[in-house]
Amino acid sequence: MVVGTNLASRFFLFTALLFAAPISFADSEHDSDLIAELISLRSAADSGVIRLDDDGVSRFLTSVSTPRPYSLIIFFDAVDLHSKSEFRLVELRREFEIVSASFIANNNGSDVTKLFFCEIDSTHSAASFHRFAVESLPHICLVDPWMDNLQDESGQMERGDFEGLAESMAEFVERRTKLTVGPIHRPPLLSKTQIAIITALIVISIPILIKKVLKGETLLHDHRVWLSGAVFVYFFSVAGTMHNIIRKVPMFLRDHEDPSNIVFFYGDSEFQLGTEGFAVGFLYTVVGLILAYVTNALVRVKNLNEQRLIMVLALFLSFWAVKQVVYLDNWKTGYEIHPYWPSSWH
Amino acid sequence: MGGKQPEPANVSSKSESMATNKASPDLLNSLSFKSLKLKTKQQELLIRVSILGLVYVLAFIARLFSVLRYESMIHEFDPYFNYRTTLFLTEKGFYEFWNWFDSESWYPLGRIIGGTLYPGLMVTAALIYWTLRFLRFFVHIREVCVLTAPFFASNTTVVAYFFGKEIWDTGAGLVAAALIAICPGYISRSVAGSYDNEAVAIFALLLTFYLFVKAVNTGSLAWALGSAFGYFYMVSAWGGYVFIINLVPLYVLVLLITGRYSMRLYVAYNCMYILGMLLAMQIRFVGFQHVQSGEHMGAMGVFLLMQVFYFLDWVKYQLNDTKLFQTFLRITVTSAILVGGIALGVGTASGYISPWTGRFYSLLDPTYAKDHIPIIASVSEHQPTAWSSFMFDYHILLFLFPAGLYFCFKRLSDATIFIVMYGLTSLYFAGVMVRLILVATPAVCLISAIAVSATVKNLTSLLRTKQKVPQTGSMKGAGSSKASSKVLLDQSQPFQKNGAIALLLGVFYLLSRYAIHCTWVTSEAYSSPSIVLAARGAHGNRIIFDDYREAYYWLRQNTPTDAKVMSWWDYGYQITAMGNRTVIVDNNTWNNTHIATVGRAMSSYEDEAYDIMRSLDVNYVLVVFGGVTGYSSDDINKFLWMVRIGGGVFPVIKEPDYLVNGEFRVDKGASPKMLNCLMYKLCYYRFGELVTEYGKPSGYDRARGVEIGNKDIKLEHLEEAYTTSNWIVRIYRVKPPTNRL
Repeated sequence: MVVGTNLASRFFLFTALLFAAPISFADSEHDSDLIAELISLRSAADSGVIRLDDDGVSRFLTSVSTPRPYSLIIFFDAVDLHSKSEFRLVELRREFEIVSASFIANNNGSDVTKLFFCEIDSTHSAASFHRFAVESLPHICLVDPWMDNLQDESGQMERGDFEGLAESMAEFVERRTKLTVGPIHRPPLLSKTQIAIITALIVISIPILIKKVLKGETLLHDHRVWLSGAVFVYFFSVAGTMHNIIRKVPMFLRDHEDPSNIVFFYGDSEFQLGTEGFAVGFLYTVVGLILAYVTNALVRVKNLNEQRLIMVLALFLSFWAVKQVVYLDNWKTGYEIHPYWPSSWH
Repeated sequence: MGGKQPEPANVSSKSESMATNKASPDLLNSLSFKSLKLKTKQQELLIRVSILGLVYVLAFIARLFSVLRYESMIHEFDPYFNYRTTLFLTEKGFYEFWNWFDSESWYPLGRIIGGTLYPGLMVTAALIYWTLRFLRFFVHIREVCVLTAPFFASNTTVVAYFFGKEIWDTGAGLVAAALIAICPGYISRSVAGSYDNEAVAIFALLLTFYLFVKAVNTGSLAWALGSAFGYFYMVSAWGGYVFIINLVPLYVLVLLITGRYSMRLYVAYNCMYILGMLLAMQIRFVGFQHVQSGEHMGAMGVFLLMQVFYFLDWVKYQLNDTKLFQTFLRITVTSAILVGGIALGVGTASGYISPWTGRFYSLLDPTYAKDHIPIIASVSEHQPTAWSSFMFDYHILLFLFPAGLYFCFKRLSDATIFIVMYGLTSLYFAGVMVRLILVATPAVCLISAIAVSATVKNLTSLLRTKQKVPQTGSMKGAGSSKASSKVLLDQSQPFQKNGAIALLLGVFYLLSRYAIHCTWVTSEAYSSPSIVLAARGAHGNRIIFDDYREAYYWLRQNTPTDAKVMSWWDYGYQITAMGNRTVIVDNNTWNNTHIATVGRAMSSYEDEAYDIMRSLDVNYVLVVFGGVTGYSSDDINKFLWMVRIGGGVFPVIKEPDYLVNGEFRVDKGASPKMLNCLMYKLCYYRFGELVTEYGKPSGYDRARGVEIGNKDIKLEHLEEAYTTSNWIVRIYRVKPPTNRL
């Protein structure tokens, strides 16, 4: 089915090309001015993504008669939505820049003047959003030389095309414009100096490590390290950290009605916020460790008064922590969890 | 059942009494002491056996809530398939079962049942059934299936006792048995009626681990052999055996790294791995995967590493020269790593070693499944765990766990290292997927039991030493703690006794709250069969919705025997088991394309869907709808997953078409595609005329709390065949094509 539409669009493109060819001679001079202007804008911008405003849109798109000598691929951005991770705007914009930079780096010939990467921000250019009929973000659209009606949905990049990030965006561009983007150049994870320093450190430390391992003096042989590691794994699990990672949960939310009010706890048993999980995990761990301390270490304390004081403190602390957890659990799940003391004590 | 438990308990106490006799030969010299000691020993044995017996019974009856509340029936979805295959096994015999090609599911593909299931559960139930019949107890196979899970849960408590005894002492064993008997994390999957693989698998898992630890402790081939058979049983019962085959090598590796290599370990692991592997390959579903797939490679690597260790030991013994040996060591280790790396690389590149399966990836890198495999991400029990679930399933065990870890580290041995590793890895996995809380439960119970037992022992020994000093001899015989109590003996002050009494009372109070919590959770949350729904009426009375069975029996009675029913895959097993009709897809989600085809049909317009249904020979379409009753896990709420899974294979289905500004709606503001797709039409057909709640307009959907957007639904190619009394299940007949003139 995809092949079908592709063929149809190719045919359409071909016929359009036939009809459009004679007209394009008319204002070639004006066109080359525009191209020169776009190139200068591009060289000024980071990774070659041109920031268009309402004037720019009318200058480069609406006031130029079709066929335009270039295609524009436009990323619709909204700075005020960057904080909301579910839109993935920051991530997608970074990928968009990568595609743009790769395109410029890979093409030296005439192709490089046929496609320009642009972005429009909603805060400054709301009119353009309206003109393109942008209803939801993320929205990326390709304006090819023959597109008259900017609200035409045919140029719109579909969700599937930016799902695979830079590679699939490039694929989309190649499919639609018949230009080659070429291999994607991603900035390396670590810069060269960082890599050099890390290798140097590793090389220096290897002999020392080997010596220590042979002598049996490493951290691996210290059971306190293993114990703290074990307690950490416990904390990590019961705090629901994996839940936070998988669902990409933020640490806290802002209240919809009152943005100054920060929400730390979420009243749904299937879902939790970052801070919430860590707080409860911390309470769990504290009580567990207090128990271990009281039964193992406290009994060795010689001073009787000290022992009593610590015991009372430990009891108080555990009581408080458990009370908090039970209270939170009742509130969160709606189930009346059986607390650890008679219900009449509330 | 009742006659079973004293036997192992006897064996254990005998071996223990022998051990203590050896430990204190000086006591044997005095005759009067000896007779007194035997008496206390017998008393202790009696108490221990009766506690175990009570725990055994308790574990069984705590799981009978569902039978008392509802009736003796199979629960949920997968158990219906297990029940159907067990029925087939008992009727037709083992070979027929093994070669069964099931044409009633996955129409028109069918499914080779014998080669695509873990037969352990069915064979176990069939054996119990045949044994009972041999003993002239003529029970129905369904009752056996319903009670298999509680029975095995009881057996698990016995294994937990021995395991606890092996890693700590008898006290910890008893506490562990009691804790695991009622722990909600385990009960959630082993109530009467939840006839699923996990029911026997947890027993097999714990048994394998126990026997392996025993083998490592003793270095005996017999225990290692037992462990291999335990592993075989586990492989035959559940796909979770992958956890064993990765945890055991990891454990061995840790022992090797920390310098705890011994001949005992060598014997235990080699025997367990080689025999276990050969046995596991006899299960058709596993077969050669056990030597080819990446999930099992770690075990093989550790096996080879063991040989290297043994070889080095031998060379060291032969060479008798440290310098020479170290040169030799360097060369062998480098070449071994090189050869191993090359072999792995070549194996993977040539495709001989298959890459890891999606489910396993999703454990290690949890974001994998979410991005790549919607069919895994869509299942509710594969969701990551929030903290409240841990609280709900473990209660005080959560607080006891770190304390138990601390105790384990205080007394490190091969066995405690194992339980710590088991506890931590499984707890991590439990955080990734809700259902894996089940695997972590035995470990959490055992480690917590160590904390409880050690604490109580410390406190009681404190109390006892205060009474009379000469009695310490007999106290030791009662199996009191060694290292920690000595610390306490040093300082005996009057305050400590009172404090100890208070703390003891506190501990028992907490344990009693645990028991109350567990019973309450079992009765409230984990005993509903989900095929019969219960709700509270306005006056607190119970209302039962039995619509599912009503619909399935209607199918069985009123449709042609060769009719094909299309529904979302969740209901496939139930339709074949209870309705006895052929389904297009079911809960064995082996063919993603086929499921996506159904998803595509459900999310297309009626005429497009009609073509798909015609091509699949569908006669009836079944949808589950909660708009009248407020039942929230219905097909409309699952609909987005149908779109996602359908769209994953057929790009014509696009998720944004069904959303409005990223929001899923069914009211007037819903997207036009949503309002006219097949699923919407089938669910809301004639619903616009119905008033569901007083004071609300007609067509008010109670599950989503909105008035529906399309009240005037006309069906062209389908007609309503049956709607159950509470509208939960709706069945439509696909009309034959109209005559073309």
